Amino acid sequence: MTQLKLVSAWFGGLLLLAGVVGILESGAADVFLEATRPDFQKISLGVMGIQNAGGPDWLGGRIEEVLKKDVKRSLVFDLVDLPSLGIQTPDIGNGMGTGSKIVFKQAAEKGVSVLVWGKAGLKGTDTEADVNMEGFVYDSGSNELVGGKRYAGSRSVVRLMAHRFADELVFRYTGEPGIARTKIAYVAEQGTARELFVMDYDGHDARQLTADGFLNLMPQWSPDRRFLIFTAYRNRNTQDIDMIELATGKRWTVISLGGLNITPALSPDGNFLAFASSHEGNSELYRLDTRTKAIQRLTINPSGDLSPSWSPNGKELVFVSDRGGGPQLFLMGSDGSNVRRLTFEGDYNAAPVWSPRGNWIAYVCRTHKEYKLCVISPDGQKRMQLTTGPGVDDSPSWSPDGRHLVFSSTADGKSHIYMIDADGKDIERLTFEGTHNSAPSWSPAS
Amino acid sequence: MNKTLGTCSLVLVMSIALIGMPGCSKKSVQSGGDSQSTQGMAKGGSSDSSKSGVGNFPDTGVQSGGGGLRGLDKNPSEERVGSGTMLAKVDPSSSAGRQMDEFRAEASLQDVFFAYDSWTIPEDGRQALSRDAEWLKSNPSALVKVEGHCDERGTSAYNLVLGEKRSKAARNYLVELGVGANRLSVVSYGKERPSCNEHAESCYQQNRRGHLVVKTGK
Repeated sequence: MTQLKLVSAWFGGLLLLAGVVGILESGAADVFLEATRPDFQKISLGVMGIQNAGGPDWLGGRIEEVLKKDVKRSLVFDLVDLPSLGIQTPDIGNGMGTGSKIVFKQAAEKGVSVLVWGKAGLKGTDTEADVNMEGFVYDSGSNELVGGKRYAGSRSVVRLMAHRFADELVFRYTGEPGIARTKIAYVAEQGTARELFVMDYDGHDARQLTADGFLNLMPQWSPDRRFLIFTAYRNRNTQDIDMIELATGKRWTVISLGGLNITPALSPDGNFLAFASSHEGNSELYRLDTRTKAIQRLTINPSGDLSPSWSPNGKELVFVSDRGGGPQLFLMGSDGSNVRRLTFEGDYNAAPVWSPRGNWIAYVCRTHKEYKLCVISPDGQKRMQLTTGPGVDDSPSWSPDGRHLVFSSTADGKSHIYMIDADGKDIERLTFEGTHNSAPSWSPAS
Repeated sequence: MNKTLGTCSLVLVMSIALIGMPGCSKKSVQSGGDSQSTQGMAKGGSSDSSKSGVGNFPDTGVQSGGGGLRGLDKNPSEERVGSGTMLAKVDPSSSAGRQMDEFRAEASLQDVFFAYDSWTIPEDGRQALSRDAEWLKSNPSALVKVEGHCDERGTSAYNLVLGEKRSKAARNYLVELGVGANRLSVVSYGKERPSCNEHAESCYQQNRRGHLVVKTGK
């Protein structure tokens, strides 16, 4: 009897301990596994080199560097450093001759299943000549050429060639288009103004889109990547929601109702625009049918409702409401039905974004007076904090493959843009210039 | 037919904003709900939406997929890589035509400062607004805009809502003190136009404000 009690007490204690550890530790493991899919094993890949074949000194090295970073960021491949595994990569020259057989054998023995080799040079003789690049992919186990690509273009597209090749690699091994050619729209401070910019997903090649000299805020992409939709201030006074066409720079107002008009979000099929507006009093959510222009009011309560984000199937919205005091996340049908509260932990949860695979919602959570990134499952069962430390994290946005988030943070002082793996592991800073970069929005895949 | 429906529901929305428009008012009550009575924000909506309030929408649905990738090929033919970015060059003159309403700071007008997370006007803020109300009464033609600002903590989006609550709280208090509501407009800048850029409470305090500015010219 006593023994039984003891055992049960011990067992109970263990359960309790397991419970605590579970919240602290295993939650993280769950997220990590699911973010990269539970059944997905990273494919070990080595880059033998992109050799220079007559171009400027930097050419091959530049392409190799961009390609390696893309491969690493894909999270599909495990990029290995061949020399550190004792695998020497001889100068293979113009083809995969006898030397390459040895490399393949060594790589296969070390578990490196995919090898990439390429070369880059000039397409002509004059100094301004176009650049070309070849990349080939080999299966080390079978000694077989998997396939390759040949690209040509101006010198300004060298990085894009590498990105394109990286996306082909991801496409070959997963059937997904990859994210190396995606873009990030964001807001950059210019004096007291905030203007829209678009940069490559790795922070390169930033281009300015607006030049109002005033505030342009929180851009979101259209599903077809052709437009940004954002908040602007007409006459510096009235808030509107504007659209801009990236290819032409053409810009126009789409919502001009008076009051606060913020946080526009187009549905995945582009047929509806959800947004927050205070034109009827306080900030409420509305849904506009973009074809008929009929507006439906989705929320009715005396508190602030804002920041709608669509589920991937377009049937649900997650949003912020302070109807309980501080801001919290709520879910509802995209017609405003079936409202229920999602977050209960902490007194400030905001800026939700639904992941492309639907299984997570990322948001800003306040813990210990700091504003950090969290993720929660749409059923509220699983929750994890992704970032820690000082600084205000804001505006999370998912990569189209759901494996990364981009966000702004003041962790290094000024507000800059960072990329983080969906498991919270690797953080990479993307912007280094300027006084204030914020509100990043990741484009859909092309 | 569709068009008519769309216009009708738009009129509906407008009528909610402008309260008491005859005709559709029954339906507006149903869909408009109770927000009019809250926090004295009733007449807040401006009448900027006198036209439709909704601009043109292009078709933004995804047409294709596949990302223009052609796949690896054992004997690849050359693909031309274009400049890739389909981005227009910014034309600064495109915004030159944007007319800006000008406001100026007025030395006699005092700002209201708020507590963290709060839009309640504190005692010293009430005193400041009382003096502002006096100034407004002695300058009866002045039009004032109350800008709501927030410190850098919190999200951009929620701070826009918080900034609006602050500006409306200040506006409503001025109305309580007898200033005509038609002389007061509100706008929220959230945390996007801070007056101070340090990461310190002394700075945060200065940024959590209702800032009163006077419209210039006529």
